[in-house]
Amino acid sequence: MRRRIASICLNTGLLAVSAVTIFPFVWMLMSSFKNADEIASVDQHLLPRVWTLANYRSIQEHFDVVRLFGNSLLLSVAITGIAVYTSLLGGYVFGKYRFRGRGPLFALVLATMMIPWAVVLIPRYTMFTGAGLQDSYASIIIPAAISSFGIFLMRQSMDNVPDEVLEAARIDGASELYIFHRIVAPLSVNAISALAIFQFLWVWEDYLWPYLMLTTPSKQVLAVGLTTFSGQYSTDYGGLFAATTVSIIPVVIVYVIFQKRFVAGAASAAVKG
Amino acid sequence: MTTTESAQPVAASVRPPAGSRRTPAAHGERPLRLVVVTTVTVAILALVAWPIVAALLGSLHDWNPLNGTYRWVGTANYRRLFADPVFWTSSVNTVVFMAGAIIGRVVLGMALAYAVHSSLTRVRTLHRTLLYLPTVTPLVAVAYVWRLMYNPQFGAVNSILGLDVNWLYDSRFALPAVMVMTIWKDFGFGVILYLAGLYALPADVLEAAQVDGAGAWARFRRVIWPMLRPTTLFVVVTSMIGYLQAFVQVFVLTDGGPGDSTSLLPYLIYQQAFVKYNFGYASAAAFVLFVATAALTVLSFRAQRGPWRGKAQ
Repeated sequence: MRRRIASICLNTGLLAVSAVTIFPFVWMLMSSFKNADEIASVDQHLLPRVWTLANYRSIQEHFDVVRLFGNSLLLSVAITGIAVYTSLLGGYVFGKYRFRGRGPLFALVLATMMIPWAVVLIPRYTMFTGAGLQDSYASIIIPAAISSFGIFLMRQSMDNVPDEVLEAARIDGASELYIFHRIVAPLSVNAISALAIFQFLWVWEDYLWPYLMLTTPSKQVLAVGLTTFSGQYSTDYGGLFAATTVSIIPVVIVYVIFQKRFVAGAASAAVKG
Repeated sequence: MTTTESAQPVAASVRPPAGSRRTPAAHGERPLRLVVVTTVTVAILALVAWPIVAALLGSLHDWNPLNGTYRWVGTANYRRLFADPVFWTSSVNTVVFMAGAIIGRVVLGMALAYAVHSSLTRVRTLHRTLLYLPTVTPLVAVAYVWRLMYNPQFGAVNSILGLDVNWLYDSRFALPAVMVMTIWKDFGFGVILYLAGLYALPADVLEAAQVDGAGAWARFRRVIWPMLRPTTLFVVVTSMIGYLQAFVQVFVLTDGGPGDSTSLLPYLIYQQAFVKYNFGYASAAAFVLFVATAALTVLSFRAQRGPWRGKAQ
């Protein structure tokens, strides 16, 4: 009996914490459908009394949110594809090949994860502007094309690829690239999905670098558009609710669909580390 | 895998003894290895190593890319930095912010992971999904949600708590408000890692403790906490590196204000570099941050080897 009560208390408590955790999302979503009077009202209710899409129409008029959404999507998908591929390749070479200098070089890869962005930001900024890459997507893609974290995560997952299978394939005369694409990649699908979601989120939320590099407003990404919009129309709270909803919802959907693999991927980075 | 079946025993017999540094089948590896090693090396040199050297050099110069100034000034930037009250305020803020956010992440992460672990199997996935949700949403966007939540007029925080506080414009509350937002955003990562740690615990140890009549608290204090030390170290070190670099939440919520009450070191660096165009001064501050990060990371790993490690391993 005592255990039953304890269990009920525990589960109710957890439910309350989960509710508090997602409350900001619910509040944002509901507020994005309220009209200006209701948003500014002192007497607040969670559900809108009058549902309206005016806020969503207003952000599209003020800044081309569809365009910026497309830019973010394009960059996120492209960088995720490139970074996952290079990470898998790096993870394979560092995880399965034995060669001189492997240890020190991998340690160096790990060490770069600890470098604060603030240190490399200014020199990178002068390098990329000096090379005439400002306002080009190359400036966004190049620094993200190789990921230390990705190589690290993929190397961890190489334990799932048995050496015997690789040896057998080699004896059968398979080329290294064939082995990589047909054996290593399919066996790493969990790690690939985890890294893909992480990477997608990082590009999607990256703010400062695109803000510094992209100067043409129509080329800009959604995260930067959000801050620009907020600065220019700082009293259009309804618009801000709608704009943040637009920039959060896609990520939430991707997360909810893939959450199992994502959680496993996040955990594996630490447990085996 | 039918074609490899006959080959496998042969492969096993030619396999070098365990611990050998030679690879089983070296043919064909070389080109791929060469490409990967070269690319990684070039990327590290160009995008990390050289920028660090350039930042160090830049910190010794009066450097303004707007008008092309790049003049040697020795340690003047560092002397100015250490005499700057904003630098000291930002440093103290950074330490307070980091400590608060890490404690929040560890305490909430471990407590909630323990609760989820002991909860009904049916709802476990639901809780895990919901608690991790803020962690996987874009920081810029959720920072805006919180800015609106903190709004003194219509924000949910005041409505729910029945208070009348201007959270982000009152220097007493602004830094705690930024910290609360950050803890909300990030505690889910702690939950996931501690959950993974709890699942990895040998079940018989917990059962034995239960059979011996240890209460919930004793089990936690004597068994779970010590055995989760490696996870705690991982959470603390990654959080430290992350929170020393926190920028977006300050940029969106407070712009470092009111006064300098929420200015963190990365915000100071950004301001000096890209608002005031003092690249040399900003580089000096960035380099101090770099040294502090490296020192704290090394210290944490030292601590793990020392008394931290305990009986866990």
